[in-house]
Amino acid sequence: MPATTLPDIPLFDLALSSADLEAVADTLRSGWLTMGPRTQRFEEAFAEHLGVQHAVALSSCTAALHLAYLTAGVSPGDEVIVPSFTFVATAAAVIYCGATPVFADIVGEHDLSIDPDHVRELLSPRTRAVTAVHFAGYPAPVDRLAQLCEEHGVALIEDAAHAPSATLAGRKLGTFGRSGAFSFFSNKILSIGEGGLLATDDEQVARQARHLRSHAMSSGTWERHTGATTTYDVTGLGFNYRTDEPHSALALSRLSGLEDDIARRRELTRAYRQALADIDGVSVPFTDESVEQSSCYVMPVVLADAERRREVRDGMMSRHGVQTSIYYPPVHRFSAYVERYGQQSLPRTESVAAREVTLPLFAHLAPEQQRRVIDALTQELAP
Amino acid sequence: MSWQVPLTDLSISEPDIEAVLDCLRSGWLTMGPRTEEFERAFAAYVGAPHAVAVSSGSAALQLALLAAGIGPGDEVLIPALTFVATAEAVLQVGAEPVLCDIAGAPDLNVDVEDLKARLTPRTRAIVLVHFMGYVGPWGPLRQLCDEHDLVLIEDAAQAIGAWAIPADPDAGVAGQRVGTVGELGCFSLFSKGQLCVGEGGMVVSADEALAARVRSLRSHAMTSGTWDRHRGHAESYDVTEVGFNFRLDESRAALGLSRLGRVDDDIEHRRALARRYREHLRDVPGIALTWSEEAVQTGSHFAFAVLSPDREQRDRLRVGLAQAGIQTTFYPALSNFSGYHAYGHHERAGQASACHSALPLHAGLSAEDQDAVIAAVCEAAAG
Repeated sequence: MPATTLPDIPLFDLALSSADLEAVADTLRSGWLTMGPRTQRFEEAFAEHLGVQHAVALSSCTAALHLAYLTAGVSPGDEVIVPSFTFVATAAAVIYCGATPVFADIVGEHDLSIDPDHVRELLSPRTRAVTAVHFAGYPAPVDRLAQLCEEHGVALIEDAAHAPSATLAGRKLGTFGRSGAFSFFSNKILSIGEGGLLATDDEQVARQARHLRSHAMSSGTWERHTGATTTYDVTGLGFNYRTDEPHSALALSRLSGLEDDIARRRELTRAYRQALADIDGVSVPFTDESVEQSSCYVMPVVLADAERRREVRDGMMSRHGVQTSIYYPPVHRFSAYVERYGQQSLPRTESVAAREVTLPLFAHLAPEQQRRVIDALTQELAP
Repeated sequence: MSWQVPLTDLSISEPDIEAVLDCLRSGWLTMGPRTEEFERAFAAYVGAPHAVAVSSGSAALQLALLAAGIGPGDEVLIPALTFVATAEAVLQVGAEPVLCDIAGAPDLNVDVEDLKARLTPRTRAIVLVHFMGYVGPWGPLRQLCDEHDLVLIEDAAQAIGAWAIPADPDAGVAGQRVGTVGELGCFSLFSKGQLCVGEGGMVVSADEALAARVRSLRSHAMTSGTWDRHRGHAESYDVTEVGFNFRLDESRAALGLSRLGRVDDDIEHRRALARRYREHLRDVPGIALTWSEEAVQTGSHFAFAVLSPDREQRDRLRVGLAQAGIQTTFYPALSNFSGYHAYGHHERAGQASACHSALPLHAGLSAEDQDAVIAAVCEAAAG
């Protein structure tokens, strides 16, 4: 094993409040851990936060995507158009349904969202759904995509893993499509460890998602505990995609701090953008205006020279103690996907993915820490 | 409605709560050092070289089947009386569950002769369920698997800590726990179990390659994890097959680890309660016991079931108990579910399902509450 190096300035850091801890401790003391009143309260609060009819809490965003596709009717033989510039789950969940992910390119170096024009070209009689990823929390053009999907009678799914309180034209992301999938994974904005959620205005989608998350059983442990019912039927093929009460309690507690957290992330993002604007060899995607709509999940920058990425990242870590990451290695290039679908070409995705570097961003990143990150990048970029 | 004596109850100790809060204070919530430690401790407890923590018992079964190479075209033998997740996992990997009848009262585990009659050239694996925590017929099935080159997977979701071979210190026999007689053993950490964390599961194996495959598939078959990248062990990653998000997280691992130290005491308490039930209900007319004194000794007592002569009397017993504020349940046979009608009817499984009632059983059940249950059973059975 190589020597362990913990970064001075990590990519992401989480500071939970004493109220968060108390919420979890209370739940544990209650002795009721499987989905019950706390999960219901969190679902109601999150639905209200989004301005959506239904929220279904789940074990992960991968589970949310899987159920989003299944409830949109995605089945064997279908195609789902997805970006390749995303976490692998966006595409993997399509394969769980027996369908084929068809990869669309991004708009470009300045906008890492899925390109609606390319989506239009890829639509086929087999297309059942289109997935928009709100990369780093910046809105993908879901207004245009919703219209396109409507014209072609296919479902729009939003992968809002990065975007728990981001907007487009004043409306929360995750509410434009048939359903929106959210993540509460540990490095996310609303992090609880493992967790996810499906949001929808469609009652049938919500009912089916609730049904499938717990083995397609007609009643749950809580209903049986409360005497609402004594037995159950199993009517289809479901899953264990449940969350549990301690995680719902933590999510509910953290939801109250979400807007403050995002406001702080926006401030930091603006400071990054300003500082990096005049530095040679690096560009910052998206626009200053879009920061105001974004939940600012991560801080992606794009180097001019792909050849220098490794050396720049290594230098930032070893000489400055600054951890960086890569969002994302493109899905269509992973060996599992090349094996299944062959070599495909998505020039803009490939070009940006080879040059992208993700800088540290979290709500309590101190100004002097941010300064160090900027200095580290500047120095490592200098020829 | 609130039960005077609930079916299960859970008491989380202050050290358990402190372990979770410590984890939350650390700010590291995704699989990391606590999960590693929990896996090591779990492996040592069960007596398996490798343990892989996962999100649920269902996920454990699905990953075990995938790791064993089970897929479309394969048949997997499972008991007809088990929780639905056993069958569901087989269907999730694209294989065909073949349901086998149970031995029948008093033994509710799978019948070896019935199972043998269902072997075909397409049979690839047997899932041996240790139902309600009582050890299934692993000896004959192990032999059968060896003779026919089948994979034996143990569904020990209800049977953590049960003994396939009891320890006998006087004779110098170390004993062997369930989960270690198959190629892979699957466990659940669900709220109702002997070792519960809310939602969670575990896969154990002596085979390093099988364990590695489970490990890979639980986190999207990525070649490195967040913890590795945080410590600077990996720059980026590949995805080598279509995997899942079936991860456990750190707070659940912390809770599991804290509780693992007392699981044997909890099981011993459950065993004492089971013995006490047997003693008081042995001679009650209209009530028959399940399994045997020997099985009580080796089992780990997830649930305690008694048998009524027929469905009508069972239903009457359950109503009588409910009226006394006592919660009971029963486990439907798979063929009771509308989603599983196509898989055939199994006489003894159907009979046992129709006739059994599971009585309150948990480590915190007081003698007083148990006496109330016993008195209510006597009264209801007499009525």
